[in-house]
Amino acid sequence: MLLYITGQVTPDDSRQHFAHRFNLDHPTAKIWIRFNYSPKVLEDNERAKPLIMAGIDLYSAPEQKQLLQGGWERYLPLTNLITVSVDDPEGNRGACHRHDPEQLLFLAERDSSPGLTKGRMVAGIWSVTLSLHSIVTEQCSYHLTVWASEEET
Amino acid sequence: MYWLACELHTHTYHSDGRQTLSELAEGSAKLGFECIALTDHNTLSGIEDREKVEREWGVTIIPGMEWTTFHGHMLTLGLQEFVDWRTSEPHNIYKGISEVHQKAGLVGMAHPYRIGSPICTGCYWEYEIQNWDDIDYIEVWSGTFPSIKTDNLRAFSLWTDRLNEGCRIAATSGRDWHAQVATEEPVSVTYLGLRADKPNEMKQIAQDAVHALRHGSAVVTIGPLVTMEVESASSRFGIGDSVPAPGSDHNERFGGYWGHVKTVFSNRQGLWELPEQKFALKIIGNAGMVAERSVGAEDEVYRMNIPEGGLLWVRAELWGTVHGARALIAFTNAIYFNEGRGNE
Ligand SMILES: [Zn+2]
Ligand SMILES: [Zn+2]
Repeated sequence: MLLYITGQVTPDDSRQHFAHRFNLDHPTAKIWIRFNYSPKVLEDNERAKPLIMAGIDLYSAPEQKQLLQGGWERYLPLTNLITVSVDDPEGNRGACHRHDPEQLLFLAERDSSPGLTKGRMVAGIWSVTLSLHSIVTEQCSYHLTVWASEEET
Repeated sequence: MYWLACELHTHTYHSDGRQTLSELAEGSAKLGFECIALTDHNTLSGIEDREKVEREWGVTIIPGMEWTTFHGHMLTLGLQEFVDWRTSEPHNIYKGISEVHQKAGLVGMAHPYRIGSPICTGCYWEYEIQNWDDIDYIEVWSGTFPSIKTDNLRAFSLWTDRLNEGCRIAATSGRDWHAQVATEEPVSVTYLGLRADKPNEMKQIAQDAVHALRHGSAVVTIGPLVTMEVESASSRFGIGDSVPAPGSDHNERFGGYWGHVKTVFSNRQGLWELPEQKFALKIIGNAGMVAERSVGAEDEVYRMNIPEGGLLWVRAELWGTVHGARALIAFTNAIYFNEGRGNE
């Protein structure tokens, strides 16, 4: 196991990046990353409503506000979004900007998960960055596990 | 000049799109696009299949990325090297932009007025822009049937306001295309003006397309191709060019400039449709409407007078009725004038 992180975040943690570093002490064939967070969806519409109203108020054209706020339910459900990006000792290895709250990703010399780039699996300091685009639920817990495998397939 | 039909904002499985690059290119070819920019969120990994897919569908692919940050979505085009999108803060986007420029890429503001957090974090542009020369282009039309959408009207005004301030900035459309789903709504095209004929080599087409956008040689439409040239006393100028201020040898009888506006309704035949009607063809500039006339659905060149005096820029616009609504159908990027810029 190269990394095992578990954490809890709240709406105040939104719009932050958390970089988790680990040391790969010898070159390997493949690195696996399992990441999940929960909950994905803010089920409580009473809690979602003021957030949506505030978003419309802040971002829409003055003459549109009333119309959009009248139809606030069309923006339901609000969701949490955390994405993963990876850096190896020599540079960036891509990102997986997608909405799945559970992702099993890998990097290897000749192949990788979509969003990540295949390439040399060199020893040194790697990092997995979690980008907290939006946390709308009171609490959101996540697990990040990284491990190496000597077999590429 | 060759006008290359482009779709400049797309996503695949490499981010949150629901299509492979090959499926995207196939769909693009079927809609008459000759070139697409692959702008997946925060990754360049999808570009790996570029050459294979270009051969497969005959569509040129420009490498790009959509910086999907907490404070704005920014498109980068024409660079294949990574620039870190995670270090940008509301006050320092100029740093990321300058690194993209150093690597010969372009930057554009994506859908700057789409509602932001918590509905769509970063979708609304909140970065402070100290110098508008940093921004190569604004995606003024986002999505399908873009010209009637409020967010796009705001983006279009943002662009016009910058032009009025004397900035030279391009405007594009982008479908923000995530999946091959059929639509009844008009699809917009950004045509980029290649200086010479269309090259044979895909990489060269992509390079020329990026060069064209950098120069502002672009027109946007949901149907006919509308382009313009400005004729001065001594020469002709294309979209993105600057018309020099009349010199001391200024001919007293110079009656202003002539705009030669060309409409092509025979482009992408069968791939778009507008109801039969008379369209309004306008030349708009920093002083407002410069010229207007009614035109039919024909391939034609119209010569329209542009009075001199205080000109900063002009563009052509084609207006008409689309799906029952009065709408902007096509517009050119600006042709700039030095005469309105004072003694700089
Ligand atoms: Zn976006
Ligand atoms: Zn996008």
